[in-house]
Amino acid sequence: MRPNDVILKTATQLVTFIIIIFSIYVFLAGHHNPGGGFIGGLMTAAAFVLIGIAFDIKTIKRILPFDFKILTATGLLIAVLTGIGSFVFDSPFLSHTYDYFYLPLLGKTELATALLFDIGVYFVVIGVTLTIIYTIGEDN
Amino acid sequence: MAFQLLINLTISFVWMFLYNAWDLPTFIIGYVVGGLILFVVRRFFHQPLYLIKVYAIIKLILLFFKELFLSNVTVVKHVLSPKLNIKPGIFALETDLKTDWEITLLSSLITLTPGTLVVDISEDQRTLYIHAMNIEDIEVSISAIKNSFERAIMEVSQ
Repeated sequence: MRPNDVILKTATQLVTFIIIIFSIYVFLAGHHNPGGGFIGGLMTAAAFVLIGIAFDIKTIKRILPFDFKILTATGLLIAVLTGIGSFVFDSPFLSHTYDYFYLPLLGKTELATALLFDIGVYFVVIGVTLTIIYTIGEDN
Repeated sequence: MAFQLLINLTISFVWMFLYNAWDLPTFIIGYVVGGLILFVVRRFFHQPLYLIKVYAIIKLILLFFKELFLSNVTVVKHVLSPKLNIKPGIFALETDLKTDWEITLLSSLITLTPGTLVVDISEDQRTLYIHAMNIEDIEVSISAIKNSFERAIMEVSQ
């Protein structure tokens, strides 16, 4: 007989969103403050692991209906493409630049190409972590 | 309930659009104006005005803080007393609450009260099994839980 874990499930439905929003904040804060792609990806993966603990692995599969290995490959592709993109402007591989732009509603915003590289790192970390969890969890 | 809150937020955004000012003060003024409009046309909705529910939620939060304080005082009293005169035990409590959300809230509140702790919930979610520090006054604790927490949660959710 399985115990009735209604409290864990209800708390998970609330806490998951707080973890994900905090992970995105940490991901975006990485340019000038502690944080960045790696820790942001780990936190987002941790939110999905929490869903897997409270419900089951099938629920994660239903929420994210794609192969996590493809997610890892996509992240690596983004990271490599930002490196190759520097060839277009006649600079060495992986040179990054930043500039200030005036966007509507946001005002003066600093946009850096390092953020694109970080998005690649973010996807790689989520893909690798969830692949590991999924492979171990499915083992019977 | 949630629909009325959405209407109120929409009125706030329309207010911000009309003034072309995107800051918090304009939003708050728009929200208050929306609340007044909703109050005037409150008979138009099938459910009671959501501000009544907000009052019930604030009452529940104050109850939560009061119980947190009292439970810690009680535990300190038991820890510092020279003789340990407690009789631990587990009893069942029938609950009238239905949804997962209410059950979770009630369990959290019971766990915070002095000397009671939820250990399990039955399969049909009608019975909570509670570990009590003093099993002697079980009737008192059951009636206290029924009268304070269940009523406060019912007021929020009905």
